[in-house]
Amino acid sequence: MNTRLALSLAAASLWHRRRVLSLVCLTLTLSVTLLLGIQYLRTEVKQSFTSTISGTDVIIGARSGQLNLLLYTVFHLGDPTNNIRWSTFQQLKQDQRIDWLIPISLGDSYQGYRVIGTDDAFLEHFQFGRGQALQLAQGRWFEGVFDVVLGANVADEFNHRVDDRIVLSHGGGRTSFSNHDDTPFRVAGILGSTGTPVDQAVYISLAGMEAMHVGWQSGVAVPGRTLTPEQAEGREFTPTAITAAFAGLERQILTFQVQRALNQYTGEPLTAILPGVALSELWRLMSQFERALLGITGFVVIISLLGLAAVLLTLQAQRAHEIAVLRATGASPGLVALLYVIEAVFLAIVACGLALMLGAVAVSALTPWLQAAYGLQVQLRPLTTMEWGLLVSVPVAALLVALIPAFRTWWQSRSLGLGDTAES
Amino acid sequence: MASTKNYSPQPTVDADRALATTGLTYCWGPGQPTLSFPDLNLSTGEHLFLRGASGSGKSTLLSLLSGMLTPASGSVRMLGASLDQLSAGARDRFRADHIGVIFQQFNLVPYLTAEANVTLPCRLSNQRRDATDPEPAQEAHRLLTALDIPKDCWRRKVTQLSIGQQQRIAAARALIGGPNLILADEPTSALDSDNRDRFLDLLLTLAEARNTSVVFVSHDRALAQHFDHQVTLEGAAR
Repeated sequence: MNTRLALSLAAASLWHRRRVLSLVCLTLTLSVTLLLGIQYLRTEVKQSFTSTISGTDVIIGARSGQLNLLLYTVFHLGDPTNNIRWSTFQQLKQDQRIDWLIPISLGDSYQGYRVIGTDDAFLEHFQFGRGQALQLAQGRWFEGVFDVVLGANVADEFNHRVDDRIVLSHGGGRTSFSNHDDTPFRVAGILGSTGTPVDQAVYISLAGMEAMHVGWQSGVAVPGRTLTPEQAEGREFTPTAITAAFAGLERQILTFQVQRALNQYTGEPLTAILPGVALSELWRLMSQFERALLGITGFVVIISLLGLAAVLLTLQAQRAHEIAVLRATGASPGLVALLYVIEAVFLAIVACGLALMLGAVAVSALTPWLQAAYGLQVQLRPLTTMEWGLLVSVPVAALLVALIPAFRTWWQSRSLGLGDTAES
Repeated sequence: MASTKNYSPQPTVDADRALATTGLTYCWGPGQPTLSFPDLNLSTGEHLFLRGASGSGKSTLLSLLSGMLTPASGSVRMLGASLDQLSAGARDRFRADHIGVIFQQFNLVPYLTAEANVTLPCRLSNQRRDATDPEPAQEAHRLLTALDIPKDCWRRKVTQLSIGQQQRIAAARALIGGPNLILADEPTSALDSDNRDRFLDLLLTLAEARNTSVVFVSHDRALAQHFDHQVTLEGAAR
C-alpha cells in the first residue's frame, strides 16, 4: 500500500474541502472540549470538595445525621438541630484523648453570610486542603468582644477594610428584619482566601455572640435592655450552649474509640462524625449526578462523530468521479478507503489538539470566577491517565466511524467498471 | 485508412501484442442479458477505433480491457499476461504500470494541480516513474507544453481550467511514463470540432512517439479515419 501517496492525497483533499470540514472539526472540537472539561472539573471539584477541611479528626454536634452535621458545620448549609451544652464542651476539653477543640456557635448572619462564634483555637487549629493553616490577609484575629474577622469573599464583596463597622443580623437569610443595631462590630482582620466555605463566613468571639444577644427575647430586642459596647467592655460573657465543635485527637489511632465514646456520651445525646468519611459519603451522593453528566457529554461526542460520518458519506457522493479516476489510474480499493480513514483520524486529532488548547484557555480564564463565585479552586494541571484515555478514544472512534464510508468505497470500487461512479 | 474487420486470435507468442482478446462475454448480474464482444488483436503501437451506439457495451468492454471487471468467459491477454488470471490487486498494479485512461469528462482529481494530476501515475507505478526522463516533473512539463497547456495553468487547480484543457491534461496523464496501452472512452464528446481534431491529433502523435497503442471509443464516425483499425460493436445483446 502506497501510504505516502495516500497521506499526500489526503492532505490535498482535506485542504480542498477545508470549508465544510472546518465546521465538522469545530463541532468535534467543542464536544471534545466539553467532554474533557467536564471530566477535568469533576476531578478538580472533588479535589476542592475533599480539601474543605483537613486536620480535624472528629466533628461533634447534637444528635443528628452524619450528613446534616457535616453540612451545617463545614459547608454552612442547613440548620443545626440542637445545641451542645457549654458544660459538655468543658468536659470534653478535660478529655485526655482530645488534643484541641474548636467551638462553633451558629445562628446569626451578615448579609446572608453565616456568623460563626468561635475562639482562638479556630485560627490555630483549623486546616484545609493538604493541612494548610488559616492566614490573616489583613489585621489581626479578634480580641475585643465586638471584634469581627471576615472571610475573604465577604470582605471582597462588600469591600470591607480593617476598622470598618458592621451590623450583624439576627437569624439567617440575606434579608433580616431584626438587626443587632445597638452592637455594631469592628472589623479586626480579614482572612486570606482558601477556596473553601471558610471564605464565606464572618467570625466573632463566643463572648461577642453572647453580648449582642443580651436583652433579646424570642428573636426581638427588648428596648432598653440591650447592651451598649461601653457596657459590654469588662464584663464576662459565658455562653450556655454552642452548636458544634471540631476536635483534633492526641493519637489518630483512637479516632474510632473516641467517636464511639462520644456517640454514647451519657451527659446528653451527641453525634460524632469523621469528616473524611462523611465527605466521601456526600461525594458518593453527588457522583451519581456527575456520572450522568459525563455520560451525556459522551453522547455529545458520539453525536458529533456521527455528524462526521454523515459529512463523509455526503462527500463520498461528490468524490465519486475522483475515486473513479484514482481507480482507473491503478489505485487499489484499499488505497481509496485509506484516504477516508486518514482524513477522519486527522480531523479528530486536530479537534483534540484544539480542544486541549481551548480547555487550557478556558480553565485559566475561568479560575478567578470559579474561585469567587463558587469557592472552587481549579488549577491547570497535567492530564490524568483517564483524561488522556478519553482524548485518545476520540481519534480511535473517528477511525471506526470512517470505516463506514471507507468500507463502502472499498466494496463498491471492487465491482465498478472503468470510469463508473457509484451514483450512476 | 479505415478498415472494418474482426481480428482472429493468434496463438503465437504475443509479447509484442499490445492487446489480444478471445471470446469475451460479460454479464452484469443474474437475469441480465449476456454481452459478447468481438475478438480484438492489436500490435504494439497500433491504434484501434471502437465504434458503437450507446448501450452497445463500449464501457463494459473498456472495463474488461483495463482489468476493472473480469469477463464471464474468454480472456484478455496483454503483453503476454492474461489479465483474467491475475488477482484483483495484481490487475490494479498491471493497470497502473501499463494502461493510461482518458474518460469523457471528470478526468482529473479536483484537489490536485494540473502538474500533480499528470504525474499521478508515476506515484502509483514505479515502472512508469522510472520510464520518465529524467524525472516525472520534467516529462509532465514536456507533455503539457506539447499539449498546448499554458505554463501559468500548470500549478493552478484543475477546476479553474476549461474542458478542453482538462481533457488535454488527462491525455498527458495517460501518456506519462509511456504505458503500453491507452484506453480512451469518448474523450472528445465534450469538445467542439476544432478542439476535437486538435486533441485527437496531439494524442495520436504523442502516442506514436512513445510506441503506445490507443484504443479509442467513440460513436463519431468522422474520427475513424485517423485509425489503423476499426471495430464496430453490435450492441444487440442489450
